[in-house]
Amino acid sequence: MTKRLLQGNQAIALAAVKAGLNFFAGYPITPASEILHELVNQETIKVLQMEDEIASINAILGASLAGAKSMTATSGPGFSLMQESIGHAHMMEVPLVIVNVQRVGPSTGMPTFPAQGDILQCKYGSHGDYFPIVFYPNSVAELYEFTFNAFNAAEESLSPVILLSDGYVGHLYETIEEVDYPISERTLAPLGTSNRHFTGLTHEDSMPVTSDPEVHRKLIKHLEAKQKKVSRKYNNYEYIENKSSDILLITYGALSRAAYDLKEDFAIYRPVRMFPIVEKIKEIAKKYKEIVVMEMNAGQYANEVERLLHREVKLISIMGGKIDLNEIWTKLRRIKKGK
Amino acid sequence: MTKELTYLKYLKQDRLPHQWCPGCGNGIVLKLACLAMEKLNFPKKGTVMVSGIGCSGRSAGFFDLDSVHTAHGRALPVAEGIKLANEELNVMVISGDGDLFGIGGNHLLHASRRNTDITVICISNAIYGMTGGQCSPTTEISSKTLTTPRGNVDTPVNVQALITGHNCFYARSTTFHFNHAMKCIFEALQHKGFSFVEIKSQCITNDGRRRGFKNSYEMLMSYKENYKINNNTNALEHNEIGIIK
Repeated sequence: MTKRLLQGNQAIALAAVKAGLNFFAGYPITPASEILHELVNQETIKVLQMEDEIASINAILGASLAGAKSMTATSGPGFSLMQESIGHAHMMEVPLVIVNVQRVGPSTGMPTFPAQGDILQCKYGSHGDYFPIVFYPNSVAELYEFTFNAFNAAEESLSPVILLSDGYVGHLYETIEEVDYPISERTLAPLGTSNRHFTGLTHEDSMPVTSDPEVHRKLIKHLEAKQKKVSRKYNNYEYIENKSSDILLITYGALSRAAYDLKEDFAIYRPVRMFPIVEKIKEIAKKYKEIVVMEMNAGQYANEVERLLHREVKLISIMGGKIDLNEIWTKLRRIKKGK
Repeated sequence: MTKELTYLKYLKQDRLPHQWCPGCGNGIVLKLACLAMEKLNFPKKGTVMVSGIGCSGRSAGFFDLDSVHTAHGRALPVAEGIKLANEELNVMVISGDGDLFGIGGNHLLHASRRNTDITVICISNAIYGMTGGQCSPTTEISSKTLTTPRGNVDTPVNVQALITGHNCFYARSTTFHFNHAMKCIFEALQHKGFSFVEIKSQCITNDGRRRGFKNSYEMLMSYKENYKINNNTNALEHNEIGIIK
């Protein structure tokens, strides 16, 4: 085990190589480009710089079906372009890893500033029903670890797994230990070995069936059950109990690092597996009178948590890419005083 | 004695007959692809068929090979990913003009530039057939379609210039010129690098009938009258079919 000073994006690239990455396709975008830069120097990996993000995700989709562990990395605008093919990969059950280093949106937004505005897009971005596994680490060491988890979960669930990051954590340098985490091997037989048909149409036994509702219901149920089963292996969250507080502060990603300074005053819960939501939150939430979600968007995860807990959730929204402890503290104090 | 149709081994025969309209050219192209593969003795294991979306996009599912039915316009990057991940595989794409030149046009530009070793067969019927007969990127000027009721005013995409401009293999044929089309695919499959075969094909249901054709036979006859074979040129005229290596 060696210690190394690594940037967040670099850690993703190096961990991906160790996790068995064979094929990477991507398109330059701030603040995710360093992943591409790091991988082009790796001799064992086939790296393609494509014409856009749509081509990138489709190239890794083809490569993955052909037997290569595949990944792409992007930020919000590119992630939006990939949405159709993410749904397609869920339908065809192709293992992929998609890294989204978030920046301020919508649209071109503030390219060099971090945000957490793509949380719901991860879950609902493509059309139709699908059940993605999404991880969002908050440190360089965790990015390294969860790159392994993302690859493993993708292979186990035969689905595209999303690894979220943001402009802060992605560009942060920290010293980490390069741990060799266990690797899940490929189970899907590569193309060219059989006569299977991979299609985005509703299908049964790999043949299109487009006019039987029962077949569709069965297929979607199968996708949901599979994702639930695999995600149980990755119940990742961080909980800092605080018996003297009746407020539970839920926060994640870059922003959660600022929240650690508030652990004397609040209980803190940090989801790492963002979706499917870790059910443990239901149990933990019962111990607190007030639930506050603090995030760098207009309340995306807060709504999801509220829906899950069936109770009111307060929101602290940090917008525009600036994490200011004074602003956070002022807003929290207002909630504490019941205003 | 009847000749055994050995090329059928490349098709999932339990899925036949196919679901395309009577008179459609897609079945002809399916047969052409099978014959070319048989002539080259392509192993079924080791060959992958990729298609996009549209009537022609359903082609891949009929082959008794591992096949991928991609999202609309994305057949090329998927095929490139497959080929680059495993260069031992023979990778073929069958898709339509709307898929390859319209929604997927940018990928065609770059796949040919990268010269990835894949063979693309484009069933070019100058119409969006599956969605009801809208104008496509290859619809001729003044041609009437569902979305150009007064005639198309836009120049059809110059595929030949795009492909040959990147020094890739380009061939054009029609569903009428069966043996010529077969030769085009046969040579394309042997070409090392990006190869593109554009096969002009008829859609009677959603194109021909709007343009005054009584049946698909008449459309085939129009290919016979309008296209002359020229295999010794660097640039085909609009009424010529041939191979440019």
